[in-house]
Amino acid sequence: MGEFKVHRVRFFNYVPSGIRCVAYNNQSNRLAVSRTDGTVEIYNLSANYFQEKFFPGHESRATEALCWAKGQRLFSAGLNGEIIEYDLQALNIKYSMDAFGGPIWSMAASPSGSQLLVGCEDGSVKLFQINPDKIQFERNFDRQKSRILSLSWHPSGTHIAAGSIDCISVFDVKSGSAIHKMLVDRQYMGVSKRKCIIWGVAFLSDGTVISVDSAGKVQFWDSATGTLVKTHLVANADVQSIAVSDQEDSFVVGTAEGTVFHFQLVSVTSNSSEKQWVRTKPFQHHTHDVRTVAHSPTALISGGTDTHLVIRPLMEKVEVKNYDAALRKITFPHRRLISCSKKRQLLLFQFSHHLDLWRLGSTVATGKHGDTLPLSKDADHLLHLKTKVSKMPAFLRSAVQILFSEDSTKLFVASNQGSLHIIRLLEGSFKHLHTFQAQSGTVESMCLLAVSPDGNWLAASGTSAGVHVYNVKRLKLHCTVPAYNFPVTALAIAPKTNNLVIAHSDQQIFEYSIPDKQYTEWSRTIQKQGFHYLWLQRDTPITHISFHPKRPMHILLHDAYMFCIIDKSLPLPNDKTLLYNPLPPTNESDVIRRRTAHAFKISKRYKPLLFMDLLDERTLVAVERPLDDIIAQLPPPIKKKKFGT
Amino acid sequence: MVQLRPRASRAPASASAMVDEGQPASEEAEHGLLLGQPSSGAAAEPLEEDGDGDGDEWDDEAPEELTFASAQAEAREEERRVRETARRDKTLLKEKRKRREELFIEQKKRKLLPDAVLEKLTAASQTGIKKSPGKLKEDNLQKKNEECEKRSESKKVKEKVQSIGQNKSYVARRLKDQDLRDSRQQAAIAFIQNSLYGPGTNRTTGTQKKQNAKRFKRRWMVRKMKTSKK
Repeated sequence: MGEFKVHRVRFFNYVPSGIRCVAYNNQSNRLAVSRTDGTVEIYNLSANYFQEKFFPGHESRATEALCWAKGQRLFSAGLNGEIIEYDLQALNIKYSMDAFGGPIWSMAASPSGSQLLVGCEDGSVKLFQINPDKIQFERNFDRQKSRILSLSWHPSGTHIAAGSIDCISVFDVKSGSAIHKMLVDRQYMGVSKRKCIIWGVAFLSDGTVISVDSAGKVQFWDSATGTLVKTHLVANADVQSIAVSDQEDSFVVGTAEGTVFHFQLVSVTSNSSEKQWVRTKPFQHHTHDVRTVAHSPTALISGGTDTHLVIRPLMEKVEVKNYDAALRKITFPHRRLISCSKKRQLLLFQFSHHLDLWRLGSTVATGKHGDTLPLSKDADHLLHLKTKVSKMPAFLRSAVQILFSEDSTKLFVASNQGSLHIIRLLEGSFKHLHTFQAQSGTVESMCLLAVSPDGNWLAASGTSAGVHVYNVKRLKLHCTVPAYNFPVTALAIAPKTNNLVIAHSDQQIFEYSIPDKQYTEWSRTIQKQGFHYLWLQRDTPITHISFHPKRPMHILLHDAYMFCIIDKSLPLPNDKTLLYNPLPPTNESDVIRRRTAHAFKISKRYKPLLFMDLLDERTLVAVERPLDDIIAQLPPPIKKKKFGT
Repeated sequence: MVQLRPRASRAPASASAMVDEGQPASEEAEHGLLLGQPSSGAAAEPLEEDGDGDGDEWDDEAPEELTFASAQAEAREEERRVRETARRDKTLLKEKRKRREELFIEQKKRKLLPDAVLEKLTAASQTGIKKSPGKLKEDNLQKKNEECEKRSESKKVKEKVQSIGQNKSYVARRLKDQDLRDSRQQAAIAFIQNSLYGPGTNRTTGTQKKQNAKRFKRRWMVRKMKTSKK
């Protein structure tokens, strides 16, 4: 394996934004997540919860509500008063429409998916018609006294419930008038000066309205009579979100203390048909406010200020009880945010609105395995680049991925329409060389690019047709790797051999020889044998692949919690061998060492890893981001009494 | 007014004056008849004054006879002149005002957009096509904004107007609306900050947590020392 000196970098101040809304789409099993900085991410829950698309945020577009409508259309609305529709194929914003009601607090799509309802700051509830190309304002409902913070449609589409401050209104959709106004107690069994904010409402088909409010109550109302049926006090802080399953036999609420409660409809006694709502399970997977929850047929999804996306499959709903039923906590990004210049020892950090360039520190000390060496020269912060709008041709402005060639003379740009541009860079100007067009409507996930070190080949993923490999010198398509049903998470071309290594979100790795236009022998062998089961159970995707300049048999790759060097010359492990075998002690005989050695050399020493690469033959760089550093920069959580403090 | 014939004075220089006054003499002859009616008192006085002023040197000359007609003519003349001046003044003032008005109109016209552009504006506002939020108001649109405000005062056009004219992609907005929108957005952000992190919410601060941790640690160490001593 060899010995390496490792640059352990912890000065990448990566702080993700808190999650504000989630919206689950049953048909495609996809989850849309919007964050407080306006970013919207799309996760494919069937592809191992991989983040396949994202829309970068903007401060003017802070979202307060997100919903799916008929035909896989995604809408969001925010405090700037506009409703935005996202184009999931072109990966940009289709249009935004001002609702003229002031800041929008809530939005709900009708059960039929053809109408959209928004609740505004001025107390108005507005109905929009969803047309094939745009949405169109239809009419206003009766205006209420205070801002409409939550909305819910009755499954039949005839009534809606709107929660504002201190009251819940039930409207009739046809007439637009408020039928009932239910006043909510400011505090359970007491008097409080603080206004009671109804953070969430849900309308069930039997006419029950469930409301969650800032006093920590979950209340059940009868919409036919406008009266309170039952109150549950679940928390000392706000209950901020509610989501009901499609079968209406369970719902989930999220509190400001980070707890998620599961309520289920259970029979009163084992024989009777009478059912009641019972709080069954508490889950404490969050440290901060849980601002949004969603209920898929088999899982509870929650997200909040602590930036984790937690997907908790429900054991009783999951058919096959395997590792798929385990808790998933998505914290780290699913794409590479760091680039490294090996010769100059520079690191480029990508933030949401600026770039940072750092030079690595150096040391002259030497030590044994496991020693920490003192730095003789600290890391230098070289540059802080903010976004700047400059004169650029139109096709470059919507770039999704940019890559330089190895000798830095060419720039490869993948645009959001699926086309690929090659630009030659000259002194102070550029010349557009060629454009490869892709078929429209085939964009599946964000495009990833890889270029071969000798500059001949360019690989691009992201379409449903598979990974395309282009011949850069001749400017034409060379071959296409057969399509695989899971999206690509990392892509790299090896030097000299020109083998394309592809990692997918289900943890499969393929090696494809570009000159031969076929999978390599090693790739076929490992596909036949299959990966180790522990390898397949890793829940973070591989975000970066790189190679050793002198050892063509080695592939270096990493995910958030491990890095691995695959030695293709060694035998492959089967399910019975230990995958994570530690370094055998030196006094063991050579025979035993040879027997236990296998191709996957995994180290979990540095985690959580955001980036790992080989700087030169003897040096590695590992960029870590400890969770505590992220938590230290989050807004304050609710005070909780801890035993002993 | 009575115009008195200048007296034959002692100074020889006044001889020419006397010659000049030949004409008025005839007028005065006419005036003399009328002299009695109007301000006889006024006429009497100066005569007396003159009489006094001259003193002993002058003989008691009788004042020149002014015929009524001449005096009347003079008076009329005077009146006419006054009227003329008044009229002239008035017309001058009118002219001035008119010119100023025209100037203002001219300035106003210069500020307004050309009619063709305005037509397009109103047409576009009816169709009500919106632009993406990325294209916001620019500084060179300040004038246009004002004009839109003035023109659409009655129409109450609140919508964003599509860009017209050149191929520049910009959006014209009412400044009043933008301020209202911003203030509303600020109010909304303040509301949510207040309800989640404001007074009355039970939140820890970073420093509070550290203090608690420090205190706990100290107590625990003390306890540990105590037990170890035992």
